[in-house]
Amino acid sequence: MIPPSLVTEDLTIRFGGHVAVDAVSCAFRPGELTVIVGPNGAGKTTYFNLISGQLAASSGRVLKDGVDLTRLSPSARAHHGIGRAFQLTNLFPQLSVLENIRLAVQARAGLGWRVFRPVARFTELTARAERYLEATRLTAVAHQPAAALPHGDQRKLEVALLMAMEPDIYMFDEPTAGMSIDHAPDVLDLIAEIKHDQSKTVLLVEHKMDVVRALADRIIVLHNGALLADGAPDEVMASRIVRDVYLGTSEDAA
Amino acid sequence: MSQTRTTGALIVKTAVLAIGAALLFAPFLFQDVRALEVAARICIFIVLVASYDLLIGYTGIVSFAHTMFFGIGAYGTAIALKQMGNGWDAVALGTLAGMALSLVLAVAIGLLSLRVKAIFFAMITLAAASVVLVLASQLNQITGGEDGITYRAPSLFSPATQLWQGADGKVATLFGVKMNGKLAGYYFVFLTSLALFVFMLRMTGSPLGTVLKAIRENEARAEAIGYRVVAYRTFVFCIAALVASLAGSSYAIWLKYTGPDTALSFAIMIDILLMVVIGGMGTMWGAVIGAVLMVLAQYYLRDLMELAAGATADLPVLPHLLEPDRWLFWLGIIFILLVYFFPAGIAGTIMRWGAPRAGR
Repeated sequence: MIPPSLVTEDLTIRFGGHVAVDAVSCAFRPGELTVIVGPNGAGKTTYFNLISGQLAASSGRVLKDGVDLTRLSPSARAHHGIGRAFQLTNLFPQLSVLENIRLAVQARAGLGWRVFRPVARFTELTARAERYLEATRLTAVAHQPAAALPHGDQRKLEVALLMAMEPDIYMFDEPTAGMSIDHAPDVLDLIAEIKHDQSKTVLLVEHKMDVVRALADRIIVLHNGALLADGAPDEVMASRIVRDVYLGTSEDAA
Repeated sequence: MSQTRTTGALIVKTAVLAIGAALLFAPFLFQDVRALEVAARICIFIVLVASYDLLIGYTGIVSFAHTMFFGIGAYGTAIALKQMGNGWDAVALGTLAGMALSLVLAVAIGLLSLRVKAIFFAMITLAAASVVLVLASQLNQITGGEDGITYRAPSLFSPATQLWQGADGKVATLFGVKMNGKLAGYYFVFLTSLALFVFMLRMTGSPLGTVLKAIRENEARAEAIGYRVVAYRTFVFCIAALVASLAGSSYAIWLKYTGPDTALSFAIMIDILLMVVIGGMGTMWGAVIGAVLMVLAQYYLRDLMELAAGATADLPVLPHLLEPDRWLFWLGIIFILLVYFFPAGIAGTIMRWGAPRAGR
């Protein structure tokens, strides 16, 4: 079996007396798309924050290809190949769509400290940014400020930013939240494409069951911060305990 | 920015070019002593305001210590010129010492406090600036206290120096302008300012400039896509401090006097803030426009009002309102109107003309 690219060991965070993520140990492998499900407040986004570094773990470890990232800043983790898209749209609002993506490309290329050459002369950066615009079908709005885009396009830009980071680990937090029916497939196709590249590891928080079924290779269930179930989609969805806490008992929800 | 190709942007850039040309030919265009003082002050303040805009407009860092760095540069050069005589070695040593002290302070303040919330950072810079201000007025022996220090600039800039000698043995003139040390002094200030401004312009257009804007727009996301926000902030804080320090040094050479009022007081800090807000934050062009308007108003609004009061002398009430002593009152009203009608500053607002409408 392929060795895991991302491992969390007993990953825990406490806010005062509340344990938001409770000793979650899990390994993720390249070529595998894991969907993380759980009721609201189960700790899914907090778990993501611990992996990508927005929050510091109270105990436990995060390992990427065997390297301990637990004490690193988000930017350092990004350089180790951890990429993260956010549940609430989290862009650079007054910068243009192209500039938003170019920033991510530029970070990946490690060019942030270039002080003198005008940005426009880094044609390679712009060309690469434009490829991601095309992939996410945002070319037409390239020069608009991100804040001026409709919600669906902002969600796509959120995904484009993550893609432009070219990480090894892709973490999507409800990428289709609030998206209209016609926009959602664009984003899901993109995720499916990333999954086909067997070197990438994909983590996806998602509520919509049709999305989960279409994409998941594996499902893990969080409940009150703890890992409740972990397995193949059919198995997990069929398990009694999962249906009780998360899917409810009604048959049609499953 | 997504507004670099608008008609408004073209207007602003044309205006800035015109200002640059006016400053380049200032000694020939405006042939009186006071006008040259104003032109030199404008050059210095363009640099000072632009370097402050790197912090507040581009990166979103609020600092009240910018005059402190300006003052350190000015005092460094002034003290060296006073103690060592008016040689270029004194200029070099004083300027470098000022830059070194500015850099040390900027690194210290940056590393200690750029991690904390913006408001605390602003308070820390305010405290540091107050300490330096008090030190400058207390260390009488070195700084001359409240009186400041007068000294001689390098002899190249002395009014008696003849750059070119005419056939009659007197100083040559060109278009009626004496080719003397005063002229050399002005061009020294102008070229120094131009070089510093172009440096900052290049910087804001570089990949680094885009990272600064990203930090201003969304610090957390900038960190998440892989930029070490604290490092970038500290870096830009240091650069701005060094530029301010250099501006202070060249102002000290020009004025041949350095005191709290010309180099260190909080009144200058407030001027800088007003210039940045009026010109428009986050564009280097705004710094130019803000500095020019504000310095012109400070020097000429009185004269203008005297004219207006004279012209309206026969009318009731008006001449009293336009009394030159009330110039600060009118300056205040102009500021309020400017901020009201140009919410993003003059350059910022005009550059949006003709841009696709941006949701906020």
